[in-house]
Amino acid sequence: MIICENLHKGYRAGHGWNEVLKGVNLTVNKGERVALLGRNGAGKSTLIKQIGGVELPDSGRVIRKMTNSWPIGFNGGFQGSLTGYDNARFIARIYGRTYAEMREFVEDFTELGSSLKMPVKTYSSGMRARLAFALSLAIEFDCYLIDEVILVGDQNFQRKCHAELFGRRGDRAMIIASHDMNTIADMCDRGIVLHNGTATTFDNIADAVAEYEGL
Amino acid sequence: MASLANGWDIQTRVIGALMLRELTTRFGRENIGFLWIMVEPMLFALLVGFLWRFMKGPLEFGVDIVAFAASGYIPLVLFRSVITRSMMSFTANGGFMYHRQIKVLDILLVRFLIELIGHMMAYLVIGLMLGVFGLFPQPYDIGFILLGGAYYALFVFAVALVVAPLSEMSEVLEKITPVSLYIMIPFSGAFAFVSALSPAAANVILYSPPVHGMEMMRYGLFGPSIDPQFDYVYPLAVCLPLMVVGLLLCRLIRRRLVIE
Repeated sequence: MIICENLHKGYRAGHGWNEVLKGVNLTVNKGERVALLGRNGAGKSTLIKQIGGVELPDSGRVIRKMTNSWPIGFNGGFQGSLTGYDNARFIARIYGRTYAEMREFVEDFTELGSSLKMPVKTYSSGMRARLAFALSLAIEFDCYLIDEVILVGDQNFQRKCHAELFGRRGDRAMIIASHDMNTIADMCDRGIVLHNGTATTFDNIADAVAEYEGL
Repeated sequence: MASLANGWDIQTRVIGALMLRELTTRFGRENIGFLWIMVEPMLFALLVGFLWRFMKGPLEFGVDIVAFAASGYIPLVLFRSVITRSMMSFTANGGFMYHRQIKVLDILLVRFLIELIGHMMAYLVIGLMLGVFGLFPQPYDIGFILLGGAYYALFVFAVALVVAPLSEMSEVLEKITPVSLYIMIPFSGAFAFVSALSPAAANVILYSPPVHGMEMMRYGLFGPSIDPQFDYVYPLAVCLPLMVVGLLLCRLIRRRLVIE
C-alpha cells in the first residue's frame, strides 16, 4: 500500500512561489492499477516524483508499505554519459542483482544490439524508453511508477511492455501518468484526476476519464 | 541487528557502485584510466618541490626541501580538490536521487574517498620515487603519518560537508569559495613547521585544525628533530561540531533539491 497524506510541493518561480501540489491525498493498494490524469503542468510528474522519493514534499508525507520502482521516464534512473551496458551494470550493483542476469534481460527486452555500447545521450526517445523499462523490469518491484513513457515505443515494444507488465506482472500495482485515454481505459482499474493542485480519486476509470475530458 | 546489517550491506554496495561509476565517467577506460587520479597531485608536488630546490637550495628548516614541499603540498591539494569537487555536487548528481538507497551523503563521501585514495597513492609513489634518489627520508614512524593524515582528512571532509550544501543554497557563496580557498594556504601548515615560527605566529596558526594533522604527518616522516607541535583533542573539537552542522545543512538542502 502507498498512502500520500496531505502532500504539498512548490517550486521557486522567479521571486515568487508556485505551489504545484496543494494537499494531495491518495491511496494505492497492492495490485491496483491506477491512472494519473491531468492537463500539462497539472503536477503529474511532480506527484510521481514525491511518491518515488526522488524529491521530498514541503509538507505531508508518503507512507510506503510496498516496494516501488523509481519513476520510469525519458530521463532519470540512468546516466546519459554512460553506455546502456554501464547503466545496466550500475543498476545491478546498487540493487544487488548479478550483472549477468541483468545484461541478459536488458539485451533481450530492448533489442538494441550494439547500441547498448553507446552513451545513452545518443539514444532516440524510443530507445530510451526501451532501456528505461528494461532496467526497471529487471528489478522486481511491488509497484511500478510510469511517467508517460509507455506510449512512445513502436508496436513491437508496446506488445512487449504489455506482456511483461500486465501478463507476467499482472499482480503488481502501477501508477501510470498518461494522456492516451484508450490505453488508460484498457489497463487501469481506478483513476486519479489532478487539477488545481488537488487530487480526486474515481473508483471507476470511465468516470475519471469523463472528468478529465471535461476539464 | 538484522536491519542494521542489511543497511550496512546496502550502504557498502551503493558506495562501491558509485565509486566505480565516478571513476569511469571521470577517467574513462582508455590509457592509464583511474591512475589519473594520482597524476595531478603528483605533478603539483614534484613541480613545486623542484622549483623550490632550484630557488632555495637543498634544505628547508633542516630537512630535504623536495620532501618538505611534497609532504605539505599533497594534503593541501587534497583539501582544494575535495572542496572544489563537492561544490554543486548534489545538483550535478541529482539523477542518483531516483534510487532511494542513494543518499546525498553518499555522493559527497564518494567524491571525498576518490580524492583521498588518489592523494594517498600520490604520496606513496612520490615517497618511493624520491626515496630511490635519496631525496625522501625513510619515515620515522608510519603510524604518525597515517594518524596525521586521518586528522587532516577529517577536517577536509568536515569542510566539504558544510560547503557542499551551502554552495547549492547561495550562488554568491559558490562564486567566492574558489577564491577563499587561497586563504587556506597559510593556515594549512604546509609551508613551515610550527616550531620555526615566532611564538606569537605559532599561537595563531595552531587555531587552524589542519595544522595539527600536518605536524603529526611531518613528525611521522622527519622525526622528532622538527619539534612537532600538535594537540589530539583540539582538531576534533572543531571538526566534529562542524560535521554536525554540515549534516544538518545536507538534510535541509535535500528537501529543497529539484530534480529533473
